[in-house]
Amino acid sequence: MGWFDDNFIPAVDGVAYGLLLFVVAAGLTLAFGSGGVLNLAHGTLYAFAAYTAAAVADGSWVGLALAVLAGIGAGAAGGGALAALTAPIAGRGHMAQAMLTFGVALVGSDLLTTTFGKNDPQVSVPGALEKPVSILGHNYPGYRLAFIVVAIVLGLGGWYVLARTRIGAAVRASVDDPEMLAAGGISPARVRTGVLVAAGALAGLAGGLGAPIIGPSTSVANTVLLQSLLVVVIGGLGSVGGALLAAILVGEVQTLGVTLMPDLAPYLLFATMAVMLIARTARFGPTGSRV
Amino acid sequence: MTPASPISRRSFRVTSAGLLAGALAFTAACSGSAADDKKGGSSSGTVKIGLTIPLTGVYAALGPDLQNGFQTYLDQHGGKLGGHKIELVITDEGDGPQTSVPSVTKLIKQDKVTAVVGLTNAATVAANVQVVNDNKVPMIGAVGRPGKIDKPDYVWHTSYLSEEPGVAAAPYIKENVAGTVYAIGPEYQGGFDQLRGFTDTFDKLGGKLANPDGKTKWTPFPGTTNFQPYFTEIKNSGAKAVYTFYAGTAAVNFVKQYKQSDIKDIPLYAAGFLTEGAVLGAEGDAAKGVFTSLNYTPTLDIPANRSFVAAYQGKYNALPTMMSATMYDAAAVLDKAIAAAGDKVTPETVNAAIAKTGKVDSPRGAWEFNPATHAPVQKWYLREVKQDGTALSNVMVRELGTLG
Repeated sequence: MGWFDDNFIPAVDGVAYGLLLFVVAAGLTLAFGSGGVLNLAHGTLYAFAAYTAAAVADGSWVGLALAVLAGIGAGAAGGGALAALTAPIAGRGHMAQAMLTFGVALVGSDLLTTTFGKNDPQVSVPGALEKPVSILGHNYPGYRLAFIVVAIVLGLGGWYVLARTRIGAAVRASVDDPEMLAAGGISPARVRTGVLVAAGALAGLAGGLGAPIIGPSTSVANTVLLQSLLVVVIGGLGSVGGALLAAILVGEVQTLGVTLMPDLAPYLLFATMAVMLIARTARFGPTGSRV
Repeated sequence: MTPASPISRRSFRVTSAGLLAGALAFTAACSGSAADDKKGGSSSGTVKIGLTIPLTGVYAALGPDLQNGFQTYLDQHGGKLGGHKIELVITDEGDGPQTSVPSVTKLIKQDKVTAVVGLTNAATVAANVQVVNDNKVPMIGAVGRPGKIDKPDYVWHTSYLSEEPGVAAAPYIKENVAGTVYAIGPEYQGGFDQLRGFTDTFDKLGGKLANPDGKTKWTPFPGTTNFQPYFTEIKNSGAKAVYTFYAGTAAVNFVKQYKQSDIKDIPLYAAGFLTEGAVLGAEGDAAKGVFTSLNYTPTLDIPANRSFVAAYQGKYNALPTMMSATMYDAAAVLDKAIAAAGDKVTPETVNAAIAKTGKVDSPRGAWEFNPATHAPVQKWYLREVKQDGTALSNVMVRELGTLG
């Protein structure tokens, strides 16, 4: 009981943190895998939604619902704008898009401080969610526990859409074989736009729901972008399932890692990524072919 | 979607490298911060005073408390200090030296201010000591102050030495806590000084820390927003109380998460900033029952404080904080010093006059500069967060003695 009991709360918290990163990173990896867009403004979409949520949330349940909806709206609108901006340079490769979205991120973070001020706003959540909940004799913040449940439902819903619906099939086809998709009468360009809007909406959803966990601040866009990039790199570009496992790993490294290896904690995140990249190179060989 | 997408492994690696390089460059590009400035020509007779206060970052919430405290004194004295009309130039302190050194330098070189006032972050003060000494412009800090400044020639503080909240609280905690105490704080200059004040004094009195290695636990600053893993370690250490120092957003996160964690019933002691000013409002009921040590409480019942609180509340509809009171005092010190400088108001004459300020009749009670440290000799108070009418307030529990 001892070891498990001692580390139970950080382990649960790692899941909460990881699931939040997963919702963000799922958007990033979808946009890359299917939309072909390397979106360095993805963290800015999260920040935008988190600020919006903080402004809308007033501590009531309606306020929370509005905050989440406003976050989704803000994220989806941002995703749509990015789709329009990147469409003309779609054929020029990832670097051109990275530069464009990087510029958008710089402008976006400046707009954020202009609109919402430079103070880090606090997010009010309904009183019932601000109480600790007892699990296995430990206290854990109610909001985070509720978030874990909601994120699992979201994950299952996302899996269903991707794996079991026509829309999901079109999205998967746009990754695997866009020409075949076009031959089937569905425009890959429209799928691409749809995916970017959906990816933005996911970042917005994460920002709206996650604002009480990773709150709006002048540095949140960078933090979220960097960590979701790590998730995407560790999980494998374009893979939603890989992103889920990687996100939980990154979450646990940042919570369990702090309790188990306090001295190494600041370096663990990047060490994890380095190990994963080396392992992958060893498996697939330096030229990319399986060995 | 499956991982076996047609993206080639080579392009995967090239892209990952690009992704990360881009992301890192992005992070670096954004860590700088623009300072807000106001320019203005100074007419003869007008004296320019520079305020460097946090307008961005973790401590941004404290900015208004600082500015409003200084402004309250100006408003009460017709916008004049020492008979001269005052023009304020405000710059951003940000999260530390990378923003504050350019801000202070600009005030001195470009705006040619007579004094620089404000400065919340002890690391900011440490980095600017040489700047103000070299340029011979007095700097009056109102909050964080590193304990060791070798040559505080042009450096003054109306606040305290950063060790003092902990030094003042340690004897009370030793007496009232039956068991070990866990010490935790942010990993930067201010955190080191604040926590050392507590741990050194506590150790001398025979107290024992609950930390497994007997040393304070440091959390990365300003990056830490999730304290849950640290709370688990505190729980496992068997501590009977916790001593800490956080301010700004970090304080809000710490207190709110503390009261929803396994250690919510372990008494929490801290340097006053944990529950001071705007952060107390953001913490709400989670802050109830937190004990803090500080040199000021708005509930102090003396005439100078009653009139200060009334004037401040009348204009800003909020209780003044320690930062408001120390900024108010910084204005009072400058008022005396500029008057004493007479016809020749220069940074150097004002600095010489500050040394002869004598007793300052402050809202926190009378105090004066210690000639060696250039920080106040003053009384300390233990406060507890309680409901006071409709608002939460840091209510006085007892005096903790005089330090300085």
